[in-house]
Amino acid sequence: MKSKLIGFLMNFWISFSLALYFHTGEREEKCIIEDIPSDTLVVGNYKVQRWDIHTHGFLESAPGLGMFVTVTSPTAEVLLSKLYGPQGTFTFTSYISGEHIICFQSNSTRFAVIAGSKLRIHLDIRVGEHFLDESAIQAKDKVNEVNIRLEHLIEQIHHVTREQDYEREREEKFRKKSEETNSNILWWAIVQTLILISVGIWQIKSLRDFFISKKLV
Amino acid sequence: MPPRGSRAPLPPLLLVWALAACAARASEITFELPDNAKQCFYEEIAQGTKCTLEFQVITGGHYDVDCRLEDPDGIVLYKEMKKQYDSFTFTASRNGTYKFCFSNEFSTFTHKTVYFDFQVGEDPPLFPSENRVTALTQMESACVSIHEALKSVIDYQTHFRLREAQGRSRAEDLNTRVAYWSIGEAIILLVVSIGQVFLLKSFFSDKRTTTTRVGS
Repeated sequence: MKSKLIGFLMNFWISFSLALYFHTGEREEKCIIEDIPSDTLVVGNYKVQRWDIHTHGFLESAPGLGMFVTVTSPTAEVLLSKLYGPQGTFTFTSYISGEHIICFQSNSTRFAVIAGSKLRIHLDIRVGEHFLDESAIQAKDKVNEVNIRLEHLIEQIHHVTREQDYEREREEKFRKKSEETNSNILWWAIVQTLILISVGIWQIKSLRDFFISKKLV
Repeated sequence: MPPRGSRAPLPPLLLVWALAACAARASEITFELPDNAKQCFYEEIAQGTKCTLEFQVITGGHYDVDCRLEDPDGIVLYKEMKKQYDSFTFTASRNGTYKFCFSNEFSTFTHKTVYFDFQVGEDPPLFPSENRVTALTQMESACVSIHEALKSVIDYQTHFRLREAQGRSRAEDLNTRVAYWSIGEAIILLVVSIGQVFLLKSFFSDKRTTTTRVGS
């Protein structure tokens, strides 16, 4: 059911014009960070265009231009590493909660300095499944439509619950770190005071013995 | 069910709906901004659309960044230097490509992680009123209010997550600083104290040789 839903929604997505874009050099790698809980589906949609120096514009489609998409998990494990065409959709599901890094690099062999070109990357990343359910429009039966809406709402609530579990994990890490800092400060303060006292006593003793041996006291 | 990736012919009603949905978009991206770098994003907006740009610096240095938003004519709509967090709402006065940039050019060696959320237009209604003959049923209006509540829950969660990430980043910085500073201070303490004693001893040793020389 889930894969059918995703497949259906993909069709709409690809026919949408991708909104947000940014520029990058030909061989430059651009990464974005997604801090997500475990078992979360992330769907990314991109389109890349190349700058053409002859027409002074971005070509609608550049033949042979592809994009390496690499997704790294928080434990530096590679979840996805594939070459896609100039326009594509990639998905991955996180196994561990944490910061996942999604990197884009074109497969172009030209150098930006020589060619004077740059790339325009359109990007749209959806985390969790809180995009609206367009397939409900097809439902002529009112009860079915509400059913599908409810299913979508239940998905949203599950996403909220997963985020909250992740928040609990992070809060625990934060608290441990703060307690570690606290005990660090306490421990080092004690150690420094002991060093101070013992070195002070050693100084006085050593100097006293020294002066006595030199017959100055 | 049409295969994934193919462009199936869309029935007219669906197409209308799809185009309407196009008008509302939200992009949120977390990216790393290296030192002395500037990163710009562009978005095509239709006239009259209400947009909101919200950004927050999560890690790095003093947790601040420069932000600048320009309209298609190059007029600066929003410009702030060294801001940690801000939210800016505006209505697009004309069609075209709007540009917003984050700059870390004032920093010499700290990388910043910046999060931004750019919302274009309002979300389409859950139960569109084009093909309706009656008002929303109770079920449908309950769905709508739950959906709205959940959207704001998710929004608050995101903000909370960012603040927590910022707090944790500071706590980690503090921990490493405390550890290094304490070790450094202990070493300095030992070295200086022991050095003092030997230095004093060396003063008295020299004096003794000069006094004996004078004596004889």
